[in-house]
Amino acid sequence: MKNNIRVERAIKNITQGELAEQTGVSRQTINAIESNKYVPSTVLALKIARVFGKPLEDIFMLEDND
Amino acid sequence: MKTRFLFPYWCRYLGYALIIAHVPVALFRKVLGFDNPGAADDGLFNSHHIFFVTTTLAMAIGLFLVAFAKEKMEDEQISQLRLDSLQWAIYLNYILLTVTLILSSDKEHILLLNLWIPLIFFIIRFRWVIYRLNSSLSREG
Repeated sequence: MKNNIRVERAIKNITQGELAEQTGVSRQTINAIESNKYVPSTVLALKIARVFGKPLEDIFMLEDND
Repeated sequence: MKTRFLFPYWCRYLGYALIIAHVPVALFRKVLGFDNPGAADDGLFNSHHIFFVTTTLAMAIGLFLVAFAKEKMEDEQISQLRLDSLQWAIYLNYILLTVTLILSSDKEHILLLNLWIPLIFFIIRFRWVIYRLNSSLSREG
């Protein structure tokens, strides 16, 4: 699964720490998601999408091998 | 995040304190040869047995508290890492258990090994992945 959290963060101009605070996880987790090392749960994915005010599919997308 | 079956964060330090406190006591036991009860062995609840059980329990409880205390920031990734490390620890434990069962006939030795190995390996593995996670964060800046 890919995501463009980094891009969305740049558009909204918030840091990893701020996104982490708003979604109730650690900065490490946001960092791991951005670098595709960790796949978030549905709940966390929805929370992240809510912070950016966009539908889930605009932020997370499946890859061919998923 | 709601978590069940985990101790509060401060329990980790209590656990470390118990483990550290156990070391001189265990050394004392070894040095003084307290492990080998003499002729005055009066049943199960003699002083040697009680001393052995108390020190072993102190160590086991210490390890337990360290292993299952909450992280400062307990989130879903931490839960996954914890589960992952637990799986590794159980694998390693059973491999070692099988090997020692084949190679050794000392049952007490096997029991003691089985008491420490899963928890110690779990703690080392869990702390290591958290360390790696934190260092990847500092590389990102």
